[in-house]
Order: sequence, then C-alpha cells, then structure tokens
Amino acid sequence: MSERPGVVCRECPGRAYLNLRGDAADPQLRNAVQQVVGVDLPREPGTWNHADRSRAYWLGPDEWFIAVEGDDGLVVERRLRDVLDGRFAVVDVTGAQVQLALSGLDAGKVLQKSSPYDFHPRNFPPGRCAQTVFAKAAALVAASEGGAFDIVFRRSYADYLRRWLADAAAEYG
Amino acid sequence: MFRIHCPHCSEARSEEEFSYAGEAHIPRPAAPSSMSDAEWGEYLHTRTNHRGQHREMWVHTAGCRRYFNVLRDTVSYEIVAVYLMGEMPPEREEAP
Repeated sequence: MSERPGVVCRECPGRAYLNLRGDAADPQLRNAVQQVVGVDLPREPGTWNHADRSRAYWLGPDEWFIAVEGDDGLVVERRLRDVLDGRFAVVDVTGAQVQLALSGLDAGKVLQKSSPYDFHPRNFPPGRCAQTVFAKAAALVAASEGGAFDIVFRRSYADYLRRWLADAAAEYG
Repeated sequence: MFRIHCPHCSEARSEEEFSYAGEAHIPRPAAPSSMSDAEWGEYLHTRTNHRGQHREMWVHTAGCRRYFNVLRDTVSYEIVAVYLMGEMPPEREEAP
C-alpha cells in the first residue's frame, strides 16, 4: 500500500437512525425536529443538513432520514413523538442500517464504478445526497466536505457491500 | 436504457432506479360488487396497448419511492412529458 491511501473506508458505529414522514410545509414539524435533534429538515430535494451530532437527509418530498450520534433510537423516537402533533410518522430504524464513511483521493471513483448515479463533484458537491442503486443494492449516499462520502444501506447487504467496496477500491490502494 | 426525470427528486436518473407501474388514468369502478366478471376482467386486464404517445405510471423505486406519470412514445421511446399524480395529462399527438 502506498503512503497516501487512495480510499479509506470505515464504519460509523453508535448512531441512531430514524425515518420521519410529515408535511414539509408544516412549521410545527420543523420546529419539533429542531428542538429534539437540533437539525433543520432540508426542503431542497437531494440535500442534507448537519448540526452538532445530528444529520437530516432528504429522502422524498415528505420523508427524511435522521442520524443522531451517540443516542438511542428508541429514546429519540419517543422524544419526537412527545413534541410532534398532527399527521406524522416516525420510526426507529437503527437496527436495520449500516453507515460507512468513504474518504481518500479516489473515493469518488469507487462510487462512480458502483452506481449509475453521477457522483462527479460538479453534480454531487458537499451537502448533496441521493438514494440510488449502489452495486445493485439500494443505498443512500451523501457527499461531505473534502471529497468524503457517507453511505447508508441495509444491514443485510453489509457483508456483500463490504466485499464489493474492498474489490472496487483495491486498485487505488 | 434511458434516463427519466423524476419530478420529486428534480433530476434525471437512470432507468435502473425506476419501475414501470402500468398504464395511467384508469379509474377504479365506483361499485365493484355490482359488476359482472366480464366487466371486472375488462377493468383489471384490458389495456389500450397504445401506439405512439402513451400515458403511463412509473415509480422511483431506488430513489424517493414516489409514483408519477410519464407521457412516453412507444415507437421512439422518447419521453415527451413527466407530470405528477393528480395532474391533468398533457395533450398528446396521435400517431399516424
């Protein structure tokens, strides 16, 4: 392996994941999420927001994926239920998800090999996220600063995708 | 393979992310229990098999998982228009 690794892949353990649905135009929903997890729900399609320990990803016009570091998903879900009102759905999906952080000079190339989505920085700058086909599996990919990416996928694909990524990244070291 | 503009994600994505969901604008009968088997069979199975600009539904399976309508030319595969569920379909040109 060279001195400067082309691709670094590590797991992000200890995060709670929630799926939230509700009316994007409802200020009460946005305030409740801000109050409990401290992050603004993105309204722009295909974007994500980051605040302190929390991240909120746009999944659809009325659906978001929320990740909170160092917290229990069920506890966050209960806190959200306590303050949310009206029509909404919030589900703790922590047990079903695995998140990987991909960084290094050639991380983008590994993504481009694995998916039909255009992960070039021109189309996918930091702050963007996309649910797409990733190595024939479904995944949520988000672009962070410095050419790094977060990938969230179902736990049942973990072994398959770990091997896929190891194989795809082997040529970059 | 073609690219489809998803009206919810606001960008063109690969066809691989989508699933075809059948012909659009087929109203569900108001009183299914009073229909004959032939009428019900007609509603369930008979489609126009339109040559030319066809109104159809697609779902963005691997993306936002939302349904929307597409006006697609079944001869050239050209996607003429994309519009949301509940919107009036755009006028279509009839094939010669």
